[in-house]
Amino acid sequence: MIERLVAAIRSRADGGDALWRQSEHTTVAFESGRLKACGITEETGVNLRVLHNGKVGVAGTTTTDLDDLLSRALASAELGEPVAIAFPDAGALPDVATHDATAADASLDHLTSIGAELVSRLTRPGCQINVSIEREIAATRVVGTGGVDASYRATGVAVSVDLARFAGDDVLFLSDQYQGTDLPTARDLDALVRTIDERYDRALTVAAPPEGTLPIVFTPQGLSAILLPVRQALSGKVVLQGISPLATKIGEAVFDAAFSITDDPLQPRRPGSRPIDDEGTPSRRLPLVEQGVVRAFIYDLETAARAGTRSTGHGTRGTFGKPVADYTNMVVGSGEWGVGTSEIGGGLVAGVRDGLVIDELIGVGQGNVIGGAFSHPVALAYRIERGEITGRVKDAAVAGNVYELLKRIAGFGSDGRWQGSRWSPSLLLEGVSVARR
Amino acid sequence: MKDRLADALKASRADFTEIRIERTWSSSVSFRGKRLESATASEDQGGFVRVADKGYGWGIAAFTSLDELPAMVRRARELSRAVRLDEPIRLAEVPPSQAEAILDLDGDVRGVPLAEKRRLLEGYNGEMLAVPGVVDTQAVYRDEVTEYWFGNSEGTLLHELRPEITLSGQAIARRDGTIEKGLESIGLRKGWNSAADHAAGFREVALRAAALLDAPTVIGGTYPVVLDNELAGVFIHEAFGHLSEADFVYENAQAREMMTLGRRFGRPVLNVGDNGAASGLRGTLPFDDEGTPTQDTALIRDGVLVGRLHSRETAAALGERPTGNARAISFRHAPIVRMTNTYIAAGQGTVPDLMQDIKLGVYACGAFGGQTLLENFSFTAAYGRMIRDGAPAELVKDVVLAGSLFQTLDRIERIAGDFRWNQMGGGCGKGGQFPLAVTEGGPHVRIEAALVGGDVPA
Repeated sequence: MIERLVAAIRSRADGGDALWRQSEHTTVAFESGRLKACGITEETGVNLRVLHNGKVGVAGTTTTDLDDLLSRALASAELGEPVAIAFPDAGALPDVATHDATAADASLDHLTSIGAELVSRLTRPGCQINVSIEREIAATRVVGTGGVDASYRATGVAVSVDLARFAGDDVLFLSDQYQGTDLPTARDLDALVRTIDERYDRALTVAAPPEGTLPIVFTPQGLSAILLPVRQALSGKVVLQGISPLATKIGEAVFDAAFSITDDPLQPRRPGSRPIDDEGTPSRRLPLVEQGVVRAFIYDLETAARAGTRSTGHGTRGTFGKPVADYTNMVVGSGEWGVGTSEIGGGLVAGVRDGLVIDELIGVGQGNVIGGAFSHPVALAYRIERGEITGRVKDAAVAGNVYELLKRIAGFGSDGRWQGSRWSPSLLLEGVSVARR
Repeated sequence: MKDRLADALKASRADFTEIRIERTWSSSVSFRGKRLESATASEDQGGFVRVADKGYGWGIAAFTSLDELPAMVRRARELSRAVRLDEPIRLAEVPPSQAEAILDLDGDVRGVPLAEKRRLLEGYNGEMLAVPGVVDTQAVYRDEVTEYWFGNSEGTLLHELRPEITLSGQAIARRDGTIEKGLESIGLRKGWNSAADHAAGFREVALRAAALLDAPTVIGGTYPVVLDNELAGVFIHEAFGHLSEADFVYENAQAREMMTLGRRFGRPVLNVGDNGAASGLRGTLPFDDEGTPTQDTALIRDGVLVGRLHSRETAAALGERPTGNARAISFRHAPIVRMTNTYIAAGQGTVPDLMQDIKLGVYACGAFGGQTLLENFSFTAAYGRMIRDGAPAELVKDVVLAGSLFQTLDRIERIAGDFRWNQMGGGCGKGGQFPLAVTEGGPHVRIEAALVGGDVPA
């Protein structure tokens, strides 16, 4: 059916490309410690882009009416802006592991047994435990009038655990997630349990929040607020709009000399891994920041065409809407993979006299993100006194500017880990404002 | 379609079966700066089946291929039978409804050419671009009409046509290293007739973004705070609304204790509710996604917790009545307990009355967003003004309010009489389902003392 679509594009438009994706998603959900629901979602969709009379148009559908889809894409192109997109030719694809047969074949019983084991290991008095196991099997095909016709299969497994404890009006909420193309190993499950256990034990004591300008250990989970402005600023689209603070900084040292960020779609068995992007550009590893120096921005075909550069292979598209540039697997840190200790803060806590460990903040992404300023109350944070965690801190808020803070990184933890599609260790940042109420 | 749905229900061997089928026609236009990003029309369709056999859990199947409906009903039953339950799922009684509920399409968007939608949005975008200091904009027009069928094995059979229209704008102002933004957002369960005459709102947020370039960051600390209508609405949604969703308490004794009906949550001035039956609002629908009629549900009356939001399952578990709050963002998802149009009810007096005896405080206006994490919340105002000697004074930026729900609700000391619905676009996220069409409303509200994040004096 997709072959017919390419032929139809050739006859009715000047060029175009399409993404076809079929997926089956299975979910097993344990609520409050008991198996509650099993579900599947089967979905097939086509996203089509055409170039006609120099202008670009897009359309999407979950129906099977591809003639109507093409007509809608052409109508969209009629209103579109001129852009000189060059659709990629059929090139050699890198080899990357995205599919695991064991995960694809795992029975409902097997998925359920993983959840049951986690529930029994996490259960404790006075706490509500929710566990979900999700498994996705997907087939993707990218075709274009430039000559690309590539397909690959992928599996994705996510195991999410969360714990809620209510004591009077004090609510403690802990969560962690495993993600990969494979089923979790015994070690992966141990790591999930350990994350919850350690955070739980140290949360039982509530400590008074400090106040002032203090050193803060941001765990791999807690780093989201710090990395969000940088993620936005390294997007070619934001650069093109003239609002990226990093737009003119290629080749300049903006961050600490030990700090690097790489986008890596070729990491084996990660959720963001793929041999080809959703527009037919072959995947490659892309250093974005190397030892503090800004090296590159991410581009899809259209943004690259407008910026006068080449796509970096970051075109990402769903069934509806046009392709956008997005990250695949982001590797953040000093470039050292580390030993992956599970200790909170990865050894950085010992060097802090008075400060905090931040594991989760509230309201990330709400403020004026692009400028780098942030201000958030803590959702899960711990007090550090004389090199030790002395309890959980509740009523505090932290603020700062990530570009100031990342100029000098006081330490990289030895707890590097994958958090979804991002790998990082804990970072020790100095000079963060802490307010209490 | 109705017949296919009824046939599939009849053929189901499960003890309880519900089926939803949706076909959605949508179009969207977006501008980034002066450039059109895209103008596109989409078609999405699919079905959702949920079944439960006695003694077993939920089996769920969602799919885009409607020809598969009978097979998916069988598949869902197999999935249900994989979940053995000691305590059976119970659903609160809802009298079966048969309804043709075609909402007023208010100018069917499907009949309006894409070029006309583009022209409208280009005008609004131009309003923002014309403001000096504005370096970038984003403007988005989106509309949809969903044809919706719902049926269950208890005899409910619904057919609805649901319109929706949203307009949003973001203006970015920049000078040297300083970047500020302004947001406009409009969302209605209406059609093309409601898309016109919004130029002033787009211009206003762009002017504000430019003005914020010269505004100082608010000095962090604890202040008396007055919330404007928009922020009061976002506050009650984030800080209280989520806790009133019964799925949060129905299987947890400790949480239930925290949310015991009759508990005092605020002073007698405070009245809060959720009204899915209010006319023409974004969260408005005749029935929820379990076929329960929507209603106006009182949550806090005179400061005391009097109700909560329910699905049929949570209502049965707590021995309360369903409220019509089981909602799903699309056929891809199961219904879960969600808000609709959540509000703080009007009090008395004017905004000057609220401010007159505040020597130093913060007037927090508009909303960039809000999030709640159980008893803690954070919300970011679009901008603020210091209150000095009883009146609004200089513009300040980066006004982030944070606090504990219980403390903050209890510190609401005065509520003005100027109630209005926000009618914003955007939406609410929960359990992987985002964005759900909701709105909020409120009058101006005065909080005795609240933590405002910002610059901390060294």
